[in-house]
Amino acid sequence: MMSKQQRLHPAAILFNFFKVIRESLFIIILGFITFRDNNSTYFILGISILIILLAAYSVASWYRYTYRVEEEELRVEYGIVIRKKRYISINRIQSIDLTAGVIHRIFKLVKVQIETAGSGTGAEAALKAVKLSEGERLRSELKNRNKQKEVEVEEEESETPAYPFYKISFKRLFLAGSTSSSIGIMLAFLLIGVSELEQFIPDRFYNNAMTWVIGLSIIIIAGLALLVLFILWVLGIAGTMIKYGNFTITKNNEELFITRGLLEKKQLTIPLNRIQAVGIQESIIRQPLGYVTVFAEIAGGSLDKGEDFSTVLFPIMRAEEVEGFLQELLPSYAKQPDEFTRLPKRARKFYLFRTVIPMVLIGAVIAYFFPQFSWIPIILLIGSLYLGLLRYWAGGYYLEDNHLIIRYRGFSKMTMVIYHNRIQSFETTQHKIQKFQKLATMKLSIIGKLGAGRHYTIKDLDEVDADKLMNWYSYQD
Amino acid sequence: MRKPPVNRIARDAVKAWQITAAIYVGVLWLATIGGAIISYINDLTYWYVAIAAIISVLSTYLIVFLFPKIRWRRWRYEVFEQEIYIQHGILIVSRTLVPMIRVQHVDTKQGPILKKFRLASVTISTAATIHEIPALLEEDASELRDSISALARVNEDDV
Repeated sequence: MMSKQQRLHPAAILFNFFKVIRESLFIIILGFITFRDNNSTYFILGISILIILLAAYSVASWYRYTYRVEEEELRVEYGIVIRKKRYISINRIQSIDLTAGVIHRIFKLVKVQIETAGSGTGAEAALKAVKLSEGERLRSELKNRNKQKEVEVEEEESETPAYPFYKISFKRLFLAGSTSSSIGIMLAFLLIGVSELEQFIPDRFYNNAMTWVIGLSIIIIAGLALLVLFILWVLGIAGTMIKYGNFTITKNNEELFITRGLLEKKQLTIPLNRIQAVGIQESIIRQPLGYVTVFAEIAGGSLDKGEDFSTVLFPIMRAEEVEGFLQELLPSYAKQPDEFTRLPKRARKFYLFRTVIPMVLIGAVIAYFFPQFSWIPIILLIGSLYLGLLRYWAGGYYLEDNHLIIRYRGFSKMTMVIYHNRIQSFETTQHKIQKFQKLATMKLSIIGKLGAGRHYTIKDLDEVDADKLMNWYSYQD
Repeated sequence: MRKPPVNRIARDAVKAWQITAAIYVGVLWLATIGGAIISYINDLTYWYVAIAAIISVLSTYLIVFLFPKIRWRRWRYEVFEQEIYIQHGILIVSRTLVPMIRVQHVDTKQGPILKKFRLASVTISTAATIHEIPALLEEDASELRDSISALARVNEDDV
């Protein structure tokens, strides 16, 4: 069909150029610093020549980069001096992602990332800039061929034109932003930033400012602090809006299709057979409001996607909507049990001990060095006791023929649905005191991002339960 | 609880571990002796040296003499047709099941100390984890490697 060699959109020259500039920025700055005093004419001359060379390089590498679809393969050829050819067989292609950054959107362009099953840090091929229509055409072409083959093999699948489709509402998005935990992270960054800033501000100015701040009444300081928090909160909302704006998820035959992002528009495809586990996260802020995040663990994938550790299937929804949502998109992961097998009562003290001990240590240090702040350790202690209880209450599992649902809490309460055939290995551990108390810890591993393992642990299960899980996992009769 | 695996690792593992541990503890002893010499030359108090000596003696006993023996006693493995069952740990006993169909590859390896005792360790990798059976007799190790690799080949499941 499309055997003609195609080039990227000329805007790719720009991207190339910025990329080489960014990569050689260090050298340019170094040159600037060393030649600054000697002779600026030579320096400017040198820089201009360099820039012209880089520009020429960008144009040449754009000119040499061609791609075409031929004989069931995507064929990419590139390289200026050393010609490289990369042929990717269409039926090896796992996913085709279209991303549009801010600059892309001005020119109505997209970046096409093509991934195969092989694990690696980069996409197998990335077409930096093609017209949106061209990108979509390319995707449908690469995919349709794949599908044609599947249809031949799998018998005609019943045609369901109305794909399940979920879109995030503005209200939900706003709620997601306002309850995001990014407040805490940003606060931490701000504190670090302020403490770093100290070094760069002249001492005198700093001292003056400090006396001025201390001179202000405590109310104004509190007001300022609140204002800062408020700004952080608004930034958190903005961040979530930008990241998850226009979030939609669709199921299309054997894959999930996600688009999201206000500024940079991302489109992800997730082949269903690469999903290793599905999880429901109830963060400590959202849980009281009854809202959860649904996510999936996907095997493979690349860093290029810029995803976090797990792929979000839906940023925020009510807990009771989850079952319906999964029923439509991932029916095999849908069923949420009413009753978990909980941890035995004697496990509680271990949970309390584990959570409280670090707090006691931190508290002791604070109380020793800053006796006037000894109310802090007391609050920390009460908080950690409560967290320990929450963790104990959350822990549990539910077993049903070929899949296991486990629940545990770090700060957020996590519920993971994992199928037997996705578990890579299973481990129980038991230390002396646990053994005496007839408790055991279980740990199971699945494949996570980038081919690294992802491990799930439930501590202090009843020994009998741990054994039951191990027997369930065992392939022996 | 589930029965522990039946096979033990090579008896000489204890010696190999003791030698390795002795090297580490030797460094500690050198530091202690060095400290003693410095204190002697500069006429400093011997308090720190005494504490260091006690720590050295204790860790010699624990790391070199006691732990390798317990570790050996705890270490067991069993290879079934469908899965590998491993138990190890001194204070924390862990038991692991690795199904054959999840095994990606098996390696044997041998450092200078293991080589001296004609031992080798077997490493079993899945897509998410790595498990090691340390210190088997060379022949046993290569036999185990071959048999696991043969069993793992049987049916490739979807991943």
